Amino acid sequence: MTDPSRWHPAALSQDLVPATVIPARCGPHEIALWRSETGALRAWQDRCPHRGMRLSHGFVRGEMLSCIYHGWRYDGEAVCRKIPAHPALEPPSSITVPRFRVAEAGGVIWIASDPGNSAPPEMAEGLRPLRSVPVDRSAAGLRDALGHDVPARLEDGLCVLVQEIDETRSVLHALTSGNVEPKIASRRLESLRRRFEKEPAA
Amino acid sequence: MILHDWVLSPNCYKVRLMAALSGQDLTLRAVNLYPEREHLSDEYLALNPAGTLPILEDGDLVLGESAAILAWLGEGWLGQGKAEAARVQAWLSFAERLNATAGRARNIDMLGVPGSLSEAQKGGRACLRELELALSDRRMEGGTFLVGDGPTIADIACFPHVMLAPDGGLTLAPYPSIRLWTRAVRALPGFVEMPGIHRLHELSPEPEMETELR
Repeated sequence: MTDPSRWHPAALSQDLVPATVIPARCGPHEIALWRSETGALRAWQDRCPHRGMRLSHGFVRGEMLSCIYHGWRYDGEAVCRKIPAHPALEPPSSITVPRFRVAEAGGVIWIASDPGNSAPPEMAEGLRPLRSVPVDRSAAGLRDALGHDVPARLEDGLCVLVQEIDETRSVLHALTSGNVEPKIASRRLESLRRRFEKEPAA
Repeated sequence: MILHDWVLSPNCYKVRLMAALSGQDLTLRAVNLYPEREHLSDEYLALNPAGTLPILEDGDLVLGESAAILAWLGEGWLGQGKAEAARVQAWLSFAERLNATAGRARNIDMLGVPGSLSEAQKGGRACLRELELALSDRRMEGGTFLVGDGPTIADIACFPHVMLAPDGGLTLAPYPSIRLWTRAVRALPGFVEMPGIHRLHELSPEPEMETELR
């Protein structure tokens, strides 16, 4: 079983295109997950140190993330570089956003909250990312039903990574193996979700 | 053309958006829907007995349903060929379901309209899941918009309710394909905003704040 303080599957790579920011999670932590124009990936606390606005509501220009509220702009090291209301001011380097570790492998983006140097779980080669779906069921309940392999392998070429959101909600990040047609796999994933949401929580 | 308009209504916004995207001018008449309920005055009920907004007047033509107004304004945005046109119709019906669920949740939560918020949210969430599946299918086909190669009135009809769903307590965070689609709509040339739906700031250059204050 993976240590829940370490790597959490947060999104599929295909769902975070260059020059965008999205809301994500790392266990209990709310994350602004963003990709710069040149593709650099960053995972920060989803909170602007200025007024607490979610940075995931912000926008990416080039290699910087800007807050939607007052435009405070942060570089790739999460240091504030521009305060538009004080254009002549060089912001103090103490204005920073807490950072999380982020890694991308096999079409999956992983986030870790601890400062160590562990690598995210290794997965078999040849898996193709399909889609991520939210499920109203605890991660523990899903893992009990699916097994604890990473990813859990189901019949029909469907593989899933379980991400915990809270006590009652999870996300399944699905991948496929073999020659299964994506739209058919997508419907299998939907029926799997219907089954899990119908069954009483463990 | 005159649009009898309420700025916070998703159904009025879809008409303003369609007109902006297709380069047509509208004369806006702001109706005091809240709190005065002016749309239910004798004058407005004479114009539109349904008592709803938007209402579009174009010469003798008076239209009081947003889907019909989109069809009137959206020449070239109706889908190509019979099959696409039929699919567009399906999404116009879907937009009505969004209106009756996510839109209703917003009206209950934001305006204090009576009704069950949890029931409306439950229906809205089911609609968002349905839309996410359809848009995920479209991505697998290499498509971006709901029907065909380019945007249609199907996208314009559904977009406002989806973007405003968080006003009714429905999160959009779990729907990656919906997020990418809403970005594609907001990136269309001529896109206009409404309160609660902002443009993509990254598409415009960094404003030079160093210029002198005027």
